[in-house]
This record gives sequence, C-alpha cells and structure tokens, in this order.
Amino acid sequence: MNVNGPKILFKIPVLGGIPVTETVVNGWIVVVILSVLCFFLGRNLSARNPSKKQIFVEKIFIMLQNLIKGTMGEHNMFFLPYIGALFAYSMLSSLCGLVGLRAPTGDLNTTVAFALVTFFLIQFFNIKNKGVGGWLKGFTEPVAVITPLNLISEIASPISMAFRHFGNIASGIVITGLIYGALAGLSNILLGWIPVVGSIPFLQAGLPAILSIYFDVFTSFLQAYIISMLTMVYVGGANEPKVPVAQKQ
Amino acid sequence: MEKFQKFVAIAPWTMIFTWINLIILVLVMKKLLFKPVMNMFAQRENEVNSMYANAEEAQKNAENMEKEYSEKLSAAKEEASRIMKDATHEAALRGEQIVSDAQQKASAIVTKAQKEIEREKEAAVSEIKQDIASLAVNIAEKVIEKDLNETDHERLLEEFIENSGEEK
Repeated sequence: MNVNGPKILFKIPVLGGIPVTETVVNGWIVVVILSVLCFFLGRNLSARNPSKKQIFVEKIFIMLQNLIKGTMGEHNMFFLPYIGALFAYSMLSSLCGLVGLRAPTGDLNTTVAFALVTFFLIQFFNIKNKGVGGWLKGFTEPVAVITPLNLISEIASPISMAFRHFGNIASGIVITGLIYGALAGLSNILLGWIPVVGSIPFLQAGLPAILSIYFDVFTSFLQAYIISMLTMVYVGGANEPKVPVAQKQ
Repeated sequence: MEKFQKFVAIAPWTMIFTWINLIILVLVMKKLLFKPVMNMFAQRENEVNSMYANAEEAQKNAENMEKEYSEKLSAAKEEASRIMKDATHEAALRGEQIVSDAQQKASAIVTKAQKEIEREKEAAVSEIKQDIASLAVNIAEKVIEKDLNETDHERLLEEFIENSGEEK
C-alpha cells in the first residue's frame, strides 16, 4: 500500500506545464455544486410567506451574521461572503471523501491557501490601521527582546491553521485507505478459498461507513468551523472598531 | 511525468487554483445568495415599517373621525334641543295669542249683543209707549165722551207715559 498525494491528472502546457491535480478538479466540482446550490437557495425569496427552503436559508444566514457580529464586530460585516465561501468550500471539499473523491482539503496546498489569505488579511489590516511603522513596532511589544517570539507566533498561526485542517482530513483519507486495505486482506484470508465469491471483499461493506461518519461528516464540519472561526478571530483582532464599543453607548 | 504528487508538498499552482476557486465562490455566493437574502431582508423591513406607518396613520384618522363625529353629534343634539325649545315657546305664544283673540272676539260679541238688546228694548219701549198712548186716548175718549182741550190732553198723556214708563 502506498500513501500518495493527489493524482496529477494532466498538465496545462503553458508556463512550463501547469499540473492539474485531483485537488484542483475536485475543487472545481465543489465550486460548481455550491454555485448551483446558491442559485437554487437564493431564488424566489419573498418578504412575505417564506417557503420552508427560504426559512432554512434565512436561519443559516442569520447564524452566520450573528457569528461574524460576535467575533469580528458589526463593522466587519463585509467579510460575510468570504467567511461563508470559506466555510462552504472547506466543508464540501472535505465531504468529497464520502463519494470517493479525494478531498481537496486533504491536500496541504488547499489549506495553506486558506491560511495565507487569513495571514495576509491580518497583515493588511494591521498596516491599514496602525501604519507601516506601527505595524512593525507592534512586533517589538511589549518589550523588544521578545521580537523573535512575536515573529514566530505571527508565522506559526497560519501554519498551524493549515496543518490542523490538512492533518485531520488527510489522516482520515489515510486511515480509511488502511482500513479498506486491511479489510480486503482479512476478507481474502477468511473467504479467499471459495471460488469466484471469495474474490469479493465482503468485509469492506459496513465498518468503513461507520468510520466515515466520524472521519468525513463530523471532521468536515468541525474543521470547516475551526478554520472559519480562526479566520474571523484573527482578522477581527487585526481590524478592531475605530471607536471602542464602550464609548459608543 | 510523475503520476502522483507527494503527500506533503508545496505546489504553488494548486494554491493559485484554490485562490481562484475561493474568489469565484465569494463572488457567486455574494451574487446568488447573500445579495438576494439581504435584499429580501431589507424589503421585509421596509414592508414592516410601512405597515406600521399605515396602521398608525389609520389609527390617527380613526381617532380624528371619532372626534369629529362626536362633535357633530353633540352639535346636532344641541340643535335638536334648541329647535324643540323654540317650537315649544312658539306654540305657547301662539296658544296665548289664540286664547286672547278668542277672548277679545267673545267680549266684542257680548258688547255688540248688549247694545243690540238695549236698542231693541228702547225700540220696544217707545213702541209700547205709543200704543199705550193711543190706547189711553181712545179709552179716555170713550170713558168721558168728551173732548178735552188740547192742553189737558197733552198733559195727561205725558203724565201717563211717565208713570207707565217708570213702572217697569
């Protein structure tokens, strides 16, 4: 058994060959599915007599709105589409494992991409709010001696974000692969002596489905929630309200 | 060509594709889901606000109308009572007028009747006087069978009339 990264499906023959991997193609599938879903959910909304579908959409929207309001503040409401997109993309990418596709979030590059967006947003808002001097000075606080530690922690947070997400999903892929392999072997040992029927790995039905509830469904939701939450907290911390909340009242 | 990427490897193109996917997703979700939902919420808010405004206006109108009607009603009641009072007053006046007219007429009739009676009586008296006079003359002529002189005759006649007139 080999533990491999995503398969390289083909190369676009420009700029010295752009590799298109399973991650990329499955990502496109996710984008298409989400676009279609958005199209159907965002259609025929009416201010009166909302349908069941609309009540569901409203509920999700208000939940997301409250989450952003609570962690980032009212002034950061323009992040709503990005947080929504990040959560949906992360979650549906992880759920790809359910239908046998390789999860795009099981590729480090996807989660690093997520984390880098967060990292650059943090730096952007710090520079915007404090100026370049204030931003640089921020690393020497509270005392100049801990500047290296500050720098490390600044870089560590996106790395830890990326690896946490990647590790959870990729380990799910690996463990699922191992269990399938092990069950195939066991099946072969127990039933291999029966002609024809023995070549069917019966034991592969059942146990992986139960495990996939944890590795795919639960972890997908949890990791999507964690990466969205961390993004909200970090970016919200970098872009605090100009007027302190206490003075507003 | 390598068929598989390494399990842990940095592939910049995959990252770029992921970013493009994220940007597309943000735009699509914004356009197809978040904008319509937010518009719907705004529309709902507007509708609710306008409903409240309409309700308030309607209530105000109703209150105004109630006030107007009660004012009109009390005015009408006042008018009615005034008309009643006027009518009663006029009727009383008319009644008095009629009664006094009737009294006047009655007294006029009575006066006229009295005058008539008086006149009739006088006429009757004078007629009787004449009858008595001629009768007395005749009787006297017959009794004494002789012609009194003119002066005695006249004197006797007047005496007789005087006496008979008093003995009524």
